[in-house]
Amino acid sequence: MHVPADYYLRILPELVLTATAVLIMLIEGGARLGSRAALSGTVALIGTAAALASVAVQSAHRGEAFSGMFRVDGFSLFFHGLIIAATLIVLLLSIGYLRAQRLQRGEFYALLLFATVGMCLMAGSVELIMVFIGLEISSICSYALCGFWRASARSSEAALKYLLLGSFATAFFLYGIALTYGASGSTNLYVIARSLSDVLAGHGSLILVAAALMFVGLAFKVSAAPFQVWTPDVYEGAPVAVTAFMSAGPKAATFAVFLRIFYVALGRYSHTWFWMIWVAAILSMCLGNLGALRQTNMKRMLAYSSIAHAGYVLVAFAALGEHGISAAMFYLACYVAMNLGAFAVISNLAQQNERFIDLHDYAGLGFRFPLQSVCLTICMLSLIGIPLTGGFLGKLFIFKAAFQNHLVGLAIVGLLNSALAAYYYLRVIAFLYMRPATVEVSQPQRSLSMNVAMVACAVGVLWLGIAPNSLLNFVVHSAGALTGR
Amino acid sequence: MPITVFLLFALVKSLIAIGILLSLVAYIQLAERKIVARIQNRLGPNRVGPFGLLQPLADTVKLLTKEDIMPSTAHKLLYLIAPAIAVTMALLPISIIPVGRDIHVLGYTTPLQITNINIGILFILAVTSLGVYGIVLAGWSSNSKYSFLGSLRGGSQMISYELALGLALVGPIMLAGTLDLRGIVEAQSHIWYVIPQIVAFFIYLTAAFAETNRSPFDLPEAEGELGAGYHTEYSSMKFAMFFLAEYINMITVSCIATLVFLGGWHGWVFGPGWLQAILPVFWFCLKAAFFLFLFIWVRGTLPRFRYDQLMGFGWKFLVPLALANVLVTSLVISLR
Amino acid sequence: MNSQPNYMANYLPILIQLGLALGLSGGILALSWLLGLHRRTRRKLAAYECGVEPVGDAQNRFAVRFYLVAIIFILFDIETVFLIPWAVVFRSLKLFGFFEMLVYMAIVLAGFFYIWRKGVLDWNTPERAE
Repeated sequence: MHVPADYYLRILPELVLTATAVLIMLIEGGARLGSRAALSGTVALIGTAAALASVAVQSAHRGEAFSGMFRVDGFSLFFHGLIIAATLIVLLLSIGYLRAQRLQRGEFYALLLFATVGMCLMAGSVELIMVFIGLEISSICSYALCGFWRASARSSEAALKYLLLGSFATAFFLYGIALTYGASGSTNLYVIARSLSDVLAGHGSLILVAAALMFVGLAFKVSAAPFQVWTPDVYEGAPVAVTAFMSAGPKAATFAVFLRIFYVALGRYSHTWFWMIWVAAILSMCLGNLGALRQTNMKRMLAYSSIAHAGYVLVAFAALGEHGISAAMFYLACYVAMNLGAFAVISNLAQQNERFIDLHDYAGLGFRFPLQSVCLTICMLSLIGIPLTGGFLGKLFIFKAAFQNHLVGLAIVGLLNSALAAYYYLRVIAFLYMRPATVEVSQPQRSLSMNVAMVACAVGVLWLGIAPNSLLNFVVHSAGALTGR
Repeated sequence: MPITVFLLFALVKSLIAIGILLSLVAYIQLAERKIVARIQNRLGPNRVGPFGLLQPLADTVKLLTKEDIMPSTAHKLLYLIAPAIAVTMALLPISIIPVGRDIHVLGYTTPLQITNINIGILFILAVTSLGVYGIVLAGWSSNSKYSFLGSLRGGSQMISYELALGLALVGPIMLAGTLDLRGIVEAQSHIWYVIPQIVAFFIYLTAAFAETNRSPFDLPEAEGELGAGYHTEYSSMKFAMFFLAEYINMITVSCIATLVFLGGWHGWVFGPGWLQAILPVFWFCLKAAFFLFLFIWVRGTLPRFRYDQLMGFGWKFLVPLALANVLVTSLVISLR
Repeated sequence: MNSQPNYMANYLPILIQLGLALGLSGGILALSWLLGLHRRTRRKLAAYECGVEPVGDAQNRFAVRFYLVAIIFILFDIETVFLIPWAVVFRSLKLFGFFEMLVYMAIVLAGFFYIWRKGVLDWNTPERAE
């Protein structure tokens, strides 16, 4: 049996990440009691950086691998890069965060990297079973990470809730896969597309049910309404570093799967599933933003905000076609940068046992901790969608795509929601700079890696807002590749 | 062969197999009592019939007329289902164990097994692992502390040694290149796998003792600490059903050991035609009987393990050893 | 083989055997119910606990190690499930198959090493309160 070397190069990032994670398991196993977290953290950083570099190798070997299970194209390259970069940022901030929380266990890094492997597989797989395996790898690691702070009852509660609801949603997804297989006779997305175009008659309702089931499973993972109820509790209970991770990588990876399955395999049936996306988009935006208005806990607020942002991406999704896809991809990149930046600052300020996590703790911090405050401000402005930030351009492309496809109602609801959202984002900035301090917030620990993470996110947000041309070109190209035009 | 005849054959073979099994179990039990008694310098049962040969019958009658007790705190349905699961899952694997080559009856050719499926080993591994439900449910539904602890121990022990058992079989499967039990036996016409796979053989044997909860791995029913273990609360024939299951499982693992490691029905075949037809079956039975004797012999000889020793031995010795055996076997095969 | 009407029909006798086995175990249960004595007293129906009144309920919390064993078992059982088809087709895969399995096993063994060192497989140490 002969397997071309190209196949291995096409999954090089996954291989590097897996090897690093296994290495960390060995390092941790070497310490019979206790942990070697510092060493593991360094190894994880190096491994992830190497994985990011190996995306470049991957990009030089586009094509399919392992009997068409895995596909390296612009679309998967974009998500590989995004996911691994997000993991890199999360690693940087969790090194300092774990030290502050006295949660230094190397297993954290191993779980993080395994989850990243799963997400990369999701981004690159064009085979439903592989997608499912990737989804499970990343989900199971996320469940464990949620409960990583074992001394905290909230953390355990979050892990249990996430596990129970998550496995339920996964079952929906799997059932959808089974029905798709039943209707088309294949689990390969491209083969499904071909066979569905051949046997148009008779399978419409079956495909609709399958699409609905897969939609439920995936909507849960991206916390889109009406499957969002778990999000605030889980985001609040999980350690901040994990919340940051969950709100970035898995969301991007799941949207990659979402777009791939619905556009490639079920593209022909867009008239049947379009309405699901439309309704979910409106519900997510409205429920997310309305929920966020009343929150003073920063983690809960960002949890609701992440529901709303899932709604914006769904607007782009509903816009159908290349414009929609490229807008969704670009928005996801911006979202990952700004959200991670916000969480990096929160995790830095939270300190031991996450004491300072409430909005009122942030009063008057603006001039005491300038670096953190500036980074947080930039990210908040971007989350609103103020010009010169990535958030602005992202929203612009989304609503442009919506208008182009005559989704005027959807676009207007989105715009109104953006205006509504400005209130609670601006409130953070107002607290930072315009309120006198009410709580004695102690000096957060100095951590080079955390500072790097914060600054990198802020710079990323600004770069996406000011000079996004190269990324935009790439995104438009790969979106075209996805729809096959 | 028309399907009706095929199914009729299967029914007849099933009935014969179950009949043979039940009487075999009765007499293995008698043999065990006799042999263990001899090892311990006692006489064993010798009052009912010549040499105590009717003892099993007397036992059955006694058990049947004993009081049928259902503890008031027990979970009634599961309490009744548990022994049924144990017996059913013990009887099921027998249906695919071949005891000899094809035979010709009434003008039809039929294999000497209830049915021949090509994934025999996989089926046996799957079904025998279901037997653990009988034990776990029995202990849990009895709602007695001894039963509960016994079933916990039994469940953990059985799943732990199931790994070693499954891994030990991978070596012979690799050599034979098939999961079909008849195929594995035919592949041993030159050399019995006990020779190239001596390590796997001993792992299998050890794990088989633990799988059937036999001494020295009979911790789930350690009298000194747990009463009777998971069947503490069972009386009359319900109690006997667990023994029935245990002895049928002993027969099953002995048959598998014979088929996979000792060449099944291969042996010296000579003499006139009728003798040539019978001899393979005779060799098979002889080899299986050897393993059954081994079960009894070991019980009469070895002391019981401690629980931590049992788990440590299974996980830290047998599983790594079985994995190493798989790797070495595959390396040798691929280099050849 | 001429004795096989078709492939799936080979599984039918297993159903017959299953029916007979269920019938047998049901029959034994019924027989022991019919033939056995029924003289119930409250104390006789109580759970056995060295002859004293049973204390509390038996379906209680128990050591987490039993859960851990079950979880690890599932992992390794799946490994075995992967090994068996590999073993069947191994001869046609040659050295490639060997090295692929080596990689796979290395990953599994890394996990095995980890749980071993973390004391999951030790049963004679008192449980750590964490």
